[in-house]
Amino acid sequence: MSDVRREVEAAVAAALAEALPELGPLDPDAALTGDLGLDSVQIMNLVMEIEDNLDLSVPVDILAEVRTLNQLTAQLVHLKEKQA
Amino acid sequence: MSLFDKFRPLAETRAGLGNSGPAPIATPIDRVLSATRGVIDGKEVILAGTNNYLGLTFEPSVIAAASQALAELGTGTTGSRMANGSYADHRALESELAAAFGWPSAMVFSTGYQANLGVLSGLVSEGEYLLVDSDSHASIYDGCRLSKAQTIRFRHNDPDNLDRRLARLGEDAKKALVVVEGLYSMLGDQPPLAEFVEVKNRHGAWLLVDEAHSFGVFGERGLGLTEQAGLLDEVDFVVGTFSKSLAGIGGFCVSPHAELELLRLASRPYIFTASPSPAVIAATRRALTLLIEGQDLRDSLHRNINHLYREVKAMGHELGSADPGPVMAIILPDRATALAHWRGLLERGVYANLMIPPATPAGLNLLRISLSAAHSEDDINQIVTALQSLRETIPLAATA
Repeated sequence: MSDVRREVEAAVAAALAEALPELGPLDPDAALTGDLGLDSVQIMNLVMEIEDNLDLSVPVDILAEVRTLNQLTAQLVHLKEKQA
Repeated sequence: MSLFDKFRPLAETRAGLGNSGPAPIATPIDRVLSATRGVIDGKEVILAGTNNYLGLTFEPSVIAAASQALAELGTGTTGSRMANGSYADHRALESELAAAFGWPSAMVFSTGYQANLGVLSGLVSEGEYLLVDSDSHASIYDGCRLSKAQTIRFRHNDPDNLDRRLARLGEDAKKALVVVEGLYSMLGDQPPLAEFVEVKNRHGAWLLVDEAHSFGVFGERGLGLTEQAGLLDEVDFVVGTFSKSLAGIGGFCVSPHAELELLRLASRPYIFTASPSPAVIAATRRALTLLIEGQDLRDSLHRNINHLYREVKAMGHELGSADPGPVMAIILPDRATALAHWRGLLERGVYANLMIPPATPAGLNLLRISLSAAHSEDDINQIVTALQSLRETIPLAATA
């Protein structure tokens, strides 16, 4: 696993722990809305936390295509690598 | 499988608001009696949930101007500004808006929503950037979606967060349009505009201020928060609406950049919409004159605002904004408590707005009260008495 991926996963896990403190172990295929029960505003806030942690700006249109934690992580890794 | 299946959660939310009494969302107003009075569920109530900040909807000279235009110019233009819908009065209103700001260019749109849609999508395109406050109105987000620019959100009212995002763009920050509002309609809070100006200037970015809720309310001539903050020389675009302080319907964009005129050739929401009807334009022109000269109206409005804020703060309510403004958002602990307050107010003769997630920031449940220059001191006292009575009867601990 690359350092970037490790950094992104840690940031996602930290933001999720803050947004959903009662959440157990993370299923990477969990759907953000269906499984985790996040609404659109909560997802936007979650991503803002992650952006701050990673010093990254995530274009809004990218979020429209993200359904699962895995997809979110993949997009963040891609953006972070592009930034580097 | 139905195309309507996806609306089920919305239907459940609506059903959860109960079916006894008037609906708290899209509340049917049987009849409007004046700028501050209406009939709901057969009962006369104070309207404290409109955007009629200067109370001009029944102003006789505004009505007379609309009536005259209706009789002389007909009910509608039947075409867009690009075709047959560009009358002398449309152009006169644009000149008057531009003159009010001392700027060379103004464009009129058919609604406030379309003003943001048309300006953002037409102005900022592929390879450019829109940096928008995270609490932006839906019309701003939708304008971003229609644009081919990359949209990046920054934290609400946080110039440092904007600073970091512009810094990440490097030289591309010069191709970025920053979008903020003069007053955010959910919580009633205002941006630290001078700090935003300092940040965008440092990065060479552009700035648009949406004064939808602040036009008519702030500034010596009512031009909005930008005027009040003494920053008219520092912004690139001001967007506004005719459907709040100007008591009609429509929207506008004004700019110190004469090239705004070119947007008429590129903005699809402007090009492919019928222009506002003559009566709307005539009413807006008269209302604009009253707004600019209307320091007495602003004095009345702010007297009402200060009165209500003072009383509601004394009740111990948590408010959406510490800065008094025409929108007061009372933060309530959950949806059931907010709903109980909304119904309780209506039973006591006051119509306000219930605001619930996902329309609200941070999942807040709000009772939103909007004030008008046309409210009397007795009206404010009645609103205060109703809120006090609810404060004493509904516990603010979760009731769900």
